[in-house]
Amino acid sequence: MNDRKHENVTEPGETMALPAAALPEAAATIEAIFLVSPRPVSLPALLSATELPEPEVRAAIEELERRYSPESSGIVLRHVAGGFQLATNPLCADAIERFREEARPAPLSGAAHEVLSCVLYLGPLTRAGVSAARGVNSDAIVRGLIDRNLLAETGRDQDRAGAPALLDITEDFLLATGAQNRDDFPVLEALVEEDEISRVRERIRVVTGEREGEFQKEKKDE
Amino acid sequence: VNLQGAERQGRALAAFTVELDVYSGPYEGLLALILKEELEIFEVPLRELVALYRSSYSPHEQSEETPDALERDTDFVDSATSLVLMKGRALDPALGAEDDEADEGLSPEELEERLVTYLKVRRGAEVLTQRFAENAGFYPSGHALHPRPGRLRLSEKKLVAAARRAFLRTVEPEVEHLGPITVTIQELAALIRSSLTDGPLSFEDLVREMDRLRSAVAFAATLSLASEGHLTLSQPEPFGPLTLNSP
Repeated sequence: MNDRKHENVTEPGETMALPAAALPEAAATIEAIFLVSPRPVSLPALLSATELPEPEVRAAIEELERRYSPESSGIVLRHVAGGFQLATNPLCADAIERFREEARPAPLSGAAHEVLSCVLYLGPLTRAGVSAARGVNSDAIVRGLIDRNLLAETGRDQDRAGAPALLDITEDFLLATGAQNRDDFPVLEALVEEDEISRVRERIRVVTGEREGEFQKEKKDE
Repeated sequence: VNLQGAERQGRALAAFTVELDVYSGPYEGLLALILKEELEIFEVPLRELVALYRSSYSPHEQSEETPDALERDTDFVDSATSLVLMKGRALDPALGAEDDEADEGLSPEELEERLVTYLKVRRGAEVLTQRFAENAGFYPSGHALHPRPGRLRLSEKKLVAAARRAFLRTVEPEVEHLGPITVTIQELAALIRSSLTDGPLSFEDLVREMDRLRSAVAFAATLSLASEGHLTLSQPEPFGPLTLNSP
């Protein structure tokens, strides 16, 4: 389709003047690649496939984002899981589900969200690590999440006996949450107000203090 | 756990239907799915289930009902307590003796730290719940790309069969029933070549004194010599006399 090699690679953030006719052609090429890709397409993969300079590819993506704006199109361009993906507009979801004669999967349970939160923020974690963080056995929930391809075993914890499998989030997890990567979520420390943490600490001190008092009283009575 | 009993008992709960995120339909169906382990007990919000039951059968309605209401309530309490027991057992941390001992030895500071981390994880889960809900309506463009028309389509089944053929070791045939080798092609080839020095040779004359095995080997030796160009064969008609000639 074109023979321009990426000879003009610029620094990030630097813009380059493009020939007026170049953009539609680049946008068309990239649009076609998006159409045939079942997974998100990363920028390096686009550069390699199109053999276009990076600024031209970025400009073409911006053009496609305008073309596939959620306000005016049934197809939208998502920037998700480290790449770009064409997807249907959520406003059309009901009609699509009727057309495909399939119901939207039931939402995950609160416990499943907790397990995912553990792995996202504290992971990679072993199954025992997840159970310890939640205080209850979570093996069955982990199994269900692996079946849904939201979690995967990505390595082994060599420091523990038996080298148990380490669980981590998957690309499907990022797709399902509309995230680019781990950094796309709020920082764990910012999720709870300091006041609330202080109240929890105070409550624990009161409870443990009461227990200590009872223990001392029992000892004295004896 | 007496869930099976509850399921078997009369049909007092047959009319009770539930609407949960994980299941929608008759309550008895929910019990059956849990028993068949097709639905994780973790996924069933028991508190919500009890609330649904209470809202379905208000005290006012119950007072007007027949004694069946008592049987129905008893059945529900029976099955619901069984569910609570099952969920309780399944949620048992079971982290091993080492961890239990470690838990007992936790200082108040460590306990605080653990609870604060859990609180943060809970808040993280709330963020995820929202993110999942916001992104549930996106359907990606290309689910599975079909091969171009005319392109060879290779199914997974065919690929597995081909790989099995390619990597399968040929099984050595059983040869114990065969007798010892008494004659070789080389021997008969030498005989044929020496006989041909006297001129054309009739195959019938060659094998006249031979048994069936030697005749067969002689025929194989003849074909072998012909293919290598050491003699030519002539046969005027199918099944007619075969003559061996020097090249």
